[in-house]
Formats: sequence, structure tokens, C-alpha cells
Amino acid sequence: MKRILVAVCALGVVIAIVAACFFFWPASIEAVQATQAQPTGYALVAKGEYLTKAADCVACHTAPGGQPFAGGRAFRLPFGTIYSSNITPDGETGIGRWSDAEFVRAVHRGIGKNGEDLYPAFPYTAYALLSTDDVLAIRAYLSTVRPVSLRNTDNTLVFPFNQRYSLRAWKLLFVPTRPWEPSTAHDAPWNRGAYLAEALAHCGECHTPRNLMFATKRGRKYAGAVVDGWKAYNITSDRESGIGAWSDADIAQYLSSGHAPARGSAGGGMGEAIDLSLRHLSSEDIAALTRYLRSIPAQPSELAVRIDHHPATLNRATAWSPGPDRNESIGFQIFASACASCHGWDGAGQQTEHAEFLGSPAVNDPSGVNLVRVVLEGVKIGSHRGDNLMPSFAAAYSDAEIAAVSNYVIGHFGGKQGKVTAADVRAARN
Amino acid sequence: MISLNINGRDYSVQAPDDMPLLWVLRDLLNLKGTKFGCGIAQCGACTVHVDGRPVRSCMLPAANVGPREVTTIEAIGQKDSGRRIQQAWLELEVVQCGYCQSGQIMAAAALIERNPAPDDAEIDAAMAGNICRCATYARIRAAIKSASRK
Repeated sequence: MKRILVAVCALGVVIAIVAACFFFWPASIEAVQATQAQPTGYALVAKGEYLTKAADCVACHTAPGGQPFAGGRAFRLPFGTIYSSNITPDGETGIGRWSDAEFVRAVHRGIGKNGEDLYPAFPYTAYALLSTDDVLAIRAYLSTVRPVSLRNTDNTLVFPFNQRYSLRAWKLLFVPTRPWEPSTAHDAPWNRGAYLAEALAHCGECHTPRNLMFATKRGRKYAGAVVDGWKAYNITSDRESGIGAWSDADIAQYLSSGHAPARGSAGGGMGEAIDLSLRHLSSEDIAALTRYLRSIPAQPSELAVRIDHHPATLNRATAWSPGPDRNESIGFQIFASACASCHGWDGAGQQTEHAEFLGSPAVNDPSGVNLVRVVLEGVKIGSHRGDNLMPSFAAAYSDAEIAAVSNYVIGHFGGKQGKVTAADVRAARN
Repeated sequence: MISLNINGRDYSVQAPDDMPLLWVLRDLLNLKGTKFGCGIAQCGACTVHVDGRPVRSCMLPAANVGPREVTTIEAIGQKDSGRRIQQAWLELEVVQCGYCQSGQIMAAAALIERNPAPDDAEIDAAMAGNICRCATYARIRAAIKSASRK
């Protein structure tokens, strides 16, 4: 009996020591070196700039109205708020004093300069797949941006989420340990597209549903998820709820401009991703991304929206008149005075092609989740021909008014009964 | 350099790609009949036609226009619809302070160009986005009806 007790205690001590080492042993660091193929000088910086855009670093590392890459953007999570960090080359507050090895370790393994574990709001689960050459090129570019002196804001996470060491167990389960390896079963454009989508653009961070541990579900790749209150739709090749019915040209045009005819226009996080990242990609890379997205196995989605491409409510509508589908509701009156001048009454869009409603998931979704957010926040997507803009209406109308106009839009342009309530709009404001 | 066709004339202007058409018209080409109202496409004062469609020039980057034809208040009277609208506007003394009226006339001309005999509801639906602080709405509606009969 005594012997068993001793053995159990000994085993317990060993496990405790192993666990302590696992969680608290200082993080290792490896020397890094670029390959012979890495360009130098200006070419390296230009390569890094392109990759920095493709990885959309600036989106998260810039606060609203703040200096590019200076960090401070808040990410509100159920267990507290995380703030992005300053990645400008400022010595005191940015990453000016980081070594290349420390930078690569952070991007590949989610480890900070002092060995602390970083939260996966920083998508190193995707960036772990980047080649070391590409990470070093991004580093070279970031060394050339304007240094901004701005101290990082402390996170406000509750216990136990504020215990960074616990992330080591999470990382063991969910972070790839090796960079992307091209698949010999596919050709070069597919492999390029896969690298762009998985390692750089990190599409799955929004479009793949998450499990209870907040990691993306491997078996549900790109099946659609709700992120920050927006529906990030299914982008698998499912014909009903995904992009299976889209042509290659539709996908390419949407990714590079934020709009494709009869497919809707981007807003929210996707609008931001297009504005800051995807529209800057070369046409070859957009084609590669399209090719790869097409190959994702179809998945059903709980976010499915049934799109009515020819709703009866638009039968006799024209650009200047709603036809017989009119009423005296508040929603109708607001649409007439605030929306119709740019959107028109027939769904085709009047001000620019982005103002089109036909085929848009947002106006075909009776819950109006994305539609309400667009009305509240507006949209801004740049192009080489200037910005496509929709102003924010949050300050102009009450919750009940925005609910009413959303329901009119869902009814007239989607042919469905909208179910937006004032309470939904109030919740969406926060 | 942005190339534009405005009122039948070709222009090349040195302007940033995101400069709104309204600024190009007023500040670079001295076509000051088109007015700045709200700057967010909510009042209609800046309405011009692009290929016959009424658009809000304050929210439309000039570079976005491309080869399409722009018509402004300065030339709308050369079109039959614009001439009839302007004549009706004078006959009914629609204008009070006048600030919004070039936008009102552009929206009204686009309407009767595409719909020669609009009824009250169609006029309201097409004109609701053009705001008038002097509330000349009743005369605007009457003038559109008068013009559509001619």
C-alpha cells in the first residue's frame, strides 16, 4: 500500500514538473536566414509591401482614425478586450528593436519579444504557414514605414484568459508547426491560391466556424460563420448557400472590387479586407485565389440565404419608381428620401454599380443582420477610380426607423418579409 | 489626368482619383450652377446626369465617370426635357431661395425624360431625395405635371 502511494506521488511530481516545463520553460528562439532566392534592397521592400497587403496586417494594427501600423485597435471578446500592438519601427513602443529572429518567431509561433505567448487574435494559426523568406520580406517592409511613438494598450482579459502560458496548450492543438508545402496533386496556380488563402489572406479566420475552444473547425472549412455580429457567408462551392453558382469572373471581380453583378456588394469586414488587401493583389493572384476557392468541397451552411433574383415586388419597378409595391410606411418614406437617389427603385443601382441590390445576400436575408450594420456604419471601398462610398446613417435615424427601412428593403428588393426589430438595431449599434 | 465629357465637351483635368465630380465641376471647371449641399448624397442639391441618370456628384469620384456623358444644369436646357422643365419652373414661379433648384430641375428632367407622364406617386418617389428648405414641393410637383403635358 505504501509503495503504491509513493509511486502515485512520484508520478504526480513528474507530471507536475513536465507540465511546469511545458508551460513555463522560456520559449526557444531559432536563428533565421533567407534563402538564396530572396531579393535584396528595393526589390525586397517591394515584395514585403505586397505581402503585407496580402496578409492585411494594416487592418488590425491600425486603430480607427489612427496612424497605420501603430496598433491600438480593440477586439472585444466575450472574455475581455485585446488591443493590437504597434508594429511600426519605433524603438521604444514599436518593433524597431526586435531582431529578425524574434519577428519570425512571433509570426510563425505567436511568441512576443520577451518570450510571452501572444493571443491568436493575431492569426498566427494562418501565418505559421508563411515561408520564412516571406516573413522576412514583410519585416523588411515594416522597417520602412513611418515610426509612430504609441505605447501598446494593456489587454483587459478576465481570469483565466489573462494567463498567457495557458495558450501553449491551445497552440499545441491548433497551430501548424511547419510552413506551407505545395501539393504535388495540384498545379502551380492552385498552390499559389492555397498559399494566398490559407497563409496570407487568412480567409478561414472569418469564414470558418469555430469550435468550443475558439479554434476553426477543420471539417467545416469556409462554411460560413458569424463574426463581430456580421454574417461571413459560406464560400465553399455549395450552389445554394456558397459560391458554387458564381462564375470565375464573378469571384474575381468581387475579390478585386467588392462587387460583382447580381452577387451583391461587400461591406463590414469583407469590405475592409477588399479595401485594404484584396484589391491590391495582381490579377494573376486573384485568378489563383479564385481557382483555389472553387476547389473547396461544398458544405451546407446554417447561414444560408435564399436569394430571389426576380422578386415579384420588382415586376413593374423602374429606376425612378417602385411600381405598385408602395405604401405609406415609415420604411418606404425613408427609403424614398434617403436611399432611392443612389440605389434607385428597381434594384439595379443608380449611383455606382456597388449600389445594386439584385442578388445581394444582405437584402435577401429576412433577419437583416448585415443590412442593418451597413445602414448604421456605411461602406468605403477604394478603387483605382476613387472610393465607392455609402454614408453612415447611425446618427440620422432612430432604431425603429432603421428597422423600418431595412424591412422595406428586404420586402421590396428581396421579396421577403423582413423581421428586423428596433431591439435588433439597438443591439447592432453596440 | 482624368478625361471627362461634360455637356458635350471633352475635358482633361488634373485631379486626384478620389476627387468628387462636384469639386471638379465647381472648382476646376468653373461650372458653378451645381451646388454643394450636404456632401453625403442626402439632399440632392448636387444632382447631375451621367448618361441620363440623375446621380449625386458630391459622392461620385470624377475618375469613376469614365467615358459616360455628364450633363449639368448649365446645359440641361438644350435637351427637350430640360427645356420644358425650366419653362414650367418659370411659369409657375417654383423657385424661392433657389439654392436646391438646380438639383431639383436635374432630377425632374431625368424623370420626364424616362417617364413622360408621371403621376403624383411617381413624382414623389423620384423627387423625395431632393430636399427644399423653402418647401416648394407643391409647386415642384405642379411644374413637373405642367412640363409633362407639353
